Order: sequence, then structure tokens, then C-alpha cells
Amino acid sequence: MQQKNLSIMHPRPSSIVAALYTLRDLNVEVAILHGPPGCSFKHARLLEEDGIRVVTTALDENGFVFGGHDRLVDMLQKVEERFSPKRIGVVGTCVSMIIGEELHEAVMEANLDAPVIEVEVHAGYNDNTKGVLFALESALDVGIIDRQEFERQQHLLNEATNVEKKYGAASKEYLEPSRGDVKYTVAKRVIEMLKAGKKGICILNAKKETAYMFADITVALQEVAVKLGVEDNIVNFANLDTELGLPRVRQHAEHILADMHDNVKIDEIIGGLDEYPIAGQQVRQLIESKYKDFDFAVIAGVPHAIPMEALEGMELISITNGPRQVHPLKDMGHEHVLVEIDLHPKTLGVTNIVESEFGATLRQLALEE
Amino acid sequence: MNPQKRIAIYGKGGIGKSSTASNVAAACADEGYNVMIIGCDPKSDSSITLLGGKRIPTILDLLREGMEIEKEEDVVFEGYKAVKCVEVGGPEPGIGCAGRGIIVAIQKLKKISQSMKEMDLIIYDVPGDIVCGGFVAPIRKGLVNEAYVLTSGEYMPLYAANNICKGLSRINTKLSGVICNSRSVSREEEIVSKFANEIGSDLVAFIPKEQIVQDCERDGYSVLEKAGDTDIAEVYRTLARNIMASDCAVDPRALTDERLRELTR
Repeated sequence: MQQKNLSIMHPRPSSIVAALYTLRDLNVEVAILHGPPGCSFKHARLLEEDGIRVVTTALDENGFVFGGHDRLVDMLQKVEERFSPKRIGVVGTCVSMIIGEELHEAVMEANLDAPVIEVEVHAGYNDNTKGVLFALESALDVGIIDRQEFERQQHLLNEATNVEKKYGAASKEYLEPSRGDVKYTVAKRVIEMLKAGKKGICILNAKKETAYMFADITVALQEVAVKLGVEDNIVNFANLDTELGLPRVRQHAEHILADMHDNVKIDEIIGGLDEYPIAGQQVRQLIESKYKDFDFAVIAGVPHAIPMEALEGMELISITNGPRQVHPLKDMGHEHVLVEIDLHPKTLGVTNIVESEFGATLRQLALEE
Repeated sequence: MNPQKRIAIYGKGGIGKSSTASNVAAACADEGYNVMIIGCDPKSDSSITLLGGKRIPTILDLLREGMEIEKEEDVVFEGYKAVKCVEVGGPEPGIGCAGRGIIVAIQKLKKISQSMKEMDLIIYDVPGDIVCGGFVAPIRKGLVNEAYVLTSGEYMPLYAANNICKGLSRINTKLSGVICNSRSVSREEEIVSKFANEIGSDLVAFIPKEQIVQDCERDGYSVLEKAGDTDIAEVYRTLARNIMASDCAVDPRALTDERLRELTR
């Protein structure tokens, strides 16, 4: 073992889970986890909240020793009989991959009508984006996405990995989780700036379904600015392009824009909901050309993907959902960092904007003005 | 041009798979074929006699050291008459998982090796018996389409050979023939030939037990290179020609344990 090169100390998001989320974004109706019943339990349940069924072949000690081929064939057939899905996914686990299970053979033997996306993946990859990539490769093989979309996704994945390694939760071997700053104090500071006539950019740069809650911050800031009569001092950026991304991701952008109605005007669309790792460049160009003299920025979602040069001279209020993101953001120079705890479970399976704690705090403080 | 041959040689541990594989590789190279040999035995002895006794770094050695294997040259080495040699390697005895090692190495090789496509013959010298999922990775990952079983006339190697036939039918892989590597036991050729017929195949070569094979191996050479004019070299040549010409692979029918016992009595 090369102890010197230890680069990971706390568990990372799993590539198995990443594959499951990608299958969901590809509108797979049932995903079969080929492995032990406890594998990825928490996310499997969460994903069920989001409308995809996740079942397991529940391999036990006997399955580990003698293989689980027959169980997988049976499960594939059972899934077809029970749910009649239009699209099915099969995902490997550490166990089934170590013992050399062949997903493809079982899929051939089960001989189903619906296309099956096979993902040979385990959780032993430092970059969990590998799980996404494998799922997309397989979707490409069965003709669910085209090469152009595949290459676009591949590019985004590389960028997402780079962002996490440079500024995110993969940037250090160990990151202390933190709840961030107190929302009340930061909300007070935002209102103080608005009242002082300072100009702010509200940037929504969110990852996929997390946008359902992060968008609430855009809405709340807008409401507060209107109440204080300074709505012209706020511009809104958002990565809510409805024409980009896998099927389900486009739907999220449509839902959120529809929910904003006419109350919030998005001044600048900075990409699709899967473009959070690259939207920073767009933000940078926009600020350089049009919004150089702004005083502060409220950034929700993946703030660490926005280059600091773009934000020079601005007071930064950043909202993330990762408790391990607080320290890296502070290190980058974000003055105020807030965490929306448990954001993800609350944004799965919804089609409307979900209230955020910071949004609620802003609204309440504005009422007291 | 003939279609590419991608064969695996299975058989009980210690029965002589590696020396057969490397001598066949050398014989085919002599005939002008482009040959690659992929050794999956931790001893790395499939390629050593093609490389004048030199050991090459194995794929798993490099992975263990944390090296990024990106180029073919990192793991593919040219030996006797430009035979391309690759060794998979394995974990230290008693730790890790050799089966998984083969899966990982094979996937890696598939990704990086360009010249594999240009070969006339690729020989996988797989370790011993088919004991777990990892050991059939070369076949499962689509790199092998024919198998040969190597045995002697003794009970244990035949038992292993029969077991391998069970494994092959399980993974829908054809058997192209049975090779007998003689241990000079009584009625050997008769027994192995009968075994081959009963499982639905043929005995494609009977390799007599000759000290010269051992001597060449000790020196780090194939028989073809060091003792090319011997009778045993001719046996390997014939086997090599048979392999290159073979087009009748069968689904092997494994025998019952009782029948196998009867056969060797």
C-alpha cells in the first residue's frame, strides 16, 4: 500500500448510485440492482420517491459463492411481468462485479421486449462520474441517446470531476462537515445591502433536481427586492435552458420556469441544468461585459463552479447543500456560506419549487422591515 | 486472409499449459503468422521461454504500483520471431482475488491494445481449472472464441478437464479439441482419446514426455527455438498447424464422475 498517496479519507458518493441517478434521467422505469439487498439502500429508497422503481436481486452468501445469474434472469422476467416497464436498467454492485457476473448474458436469456440498459459498475472508482459514464455508454449502445448527446455528457462529466477536485468535496483528503453561517445573520446582511441601494446578481447554478429548492432563493430575493422597491437593482442568472440535457433534466427546467410564472424574470440563461460545471465561464463573460459594477452576488447550487475572477470585488453569499462544501468555499473567498440541509430528499419527486430555509428567512425578515 | 483465431488453453494446474502455449506460439511464428500470447498465470511462464528467460512486467504489477497503463508498449513485449507477449500477473498468494485480477487486466488490455486486431492468432494461457467467474473473463469479455483442453491420462487432470467442459458449456463456448501432454502413464493415448470422443471432441495432439522440453524451458527458450530439429518440435509444429486449420469446434458434453472413473481404470 502506498500510504503516502492517501487521497480519500471519507466515503465518496458511489458510482453505483450515480449510475442509478443517470438511469432515472434517462426515464428508466425500473432499475435492478444486481447484488446484496443492502447495497445503496438509502439512495434506492430516495429514488423511489422520484418515481423510478429500484429493486434488488438480493444476493446472499450463497449468491456470492455460487453466482447470481439465475436470480437476475428471474428478476428481469418478474419485473416485466409485474411492472411492464418501457425501459429497464440493470446495475452491477461491488459483489457481482468482483465475482464476475455477466449482466449481458442474463439480459439475453431473459429475452424481454423492453430495452435494457446494462451498467457494469462497482463503487471502487474515485470519480463517481464513472457510473454516469457507463450508464450513458450503455444507453448509447441500445440507441436511447445519440452520439452527440453522449459526447456532450462526457464533456460535462469531465468538467464536473475537475470542479470537485479543484474546489469541491474531492479537493482534500478529509473535509470537516459544517452547517455554515447562520441564515438569519446573512439574510440581515442581504437586506441591509438592498436597502443601501447596492446592486446584486442572483445566480442559480444548480445541479439537476436540486434546482427545485435553490430556485426558491431566486424567487425569495426577488420578492424581497420588490417589497423594498429595489427590484431594478437585482439581475437573475439561471441555468434553466429547457432545450439541453437528458429527458428528465429538461423537464425540471420547464417545471421550474413555469412555477416562477411572471413573478421572476430570468435575465440571463447560463446553460442547462446539467451544465453547472461549465456555466461559470458564461457567468464570467456576462459579468465582464454587462455587470461589472455590481456589489454583491447570491449564488445557489454549485457556487464553487463559478470562477473567482468573475466575481472580483463582489461580496459573496453562497448557498450549497453539501456540509463538506463550506470550508472549500470559505477558502476560495466566499464571505457567507450557507447550507440547505436535507435539500436532496426534499427535491426528489417534486414538480414545483420547494421552499428553502434561506428563502424563508429572507421573506420573514423583509416582513419585519 | 484467415479470420483471427482467439483461443484459450485450459487444464489442471501444472499439466503443461504454458509450455504447450509458448511452443505453439513459436511454431506459428515460424510459419509466418502474427501471434500474441497472453499469459494469465502469476508465474509469468507463458512468455518467459519466448523472451530468452527474461521476465516482463505484468499488467497487475503495474496496476499494483499505481501506474496508469495507457499505451500498449507498457505491457506488450516482443519475443521470439516478433511474438507479442503479455502477462496478466496476480496478487500475492493468500491476499486479494486472482479472479478479479484477471477481469481487471483483461478489461485494461482490451482498452489499450491496438495490435490485437492485427494478429492471426491470440493464445490465452489461462490459469488452471475454471474455478470462478474471473477465470473465464477472457471468454466472457469477448476476447476468446475457441477453447482447447490440455490433460494427461491421469485421473486428476482428466477430472479437471471434464470440469472445464462443464464450465465451457455453461458459458456457451465451443471446444476445439483435447491435447494430451503425456506423463507416460499406461494406456495414456487410448484413455485420453476415448475421453475426447466421449465428450464429443477429438484428441488433436499427443505430446510425448521428453526431457528436452524441460531442458529448453530451464534455459529460457522454446523447443522450437533451441531444439527445432527434434521430434518433439515436430509434434508442436503439427499441433500448431492443426490449431490454425481447425474449424470443427463442438459443445462439449461432460461425463459423469462414474464414467470418468471407469475410463481411467
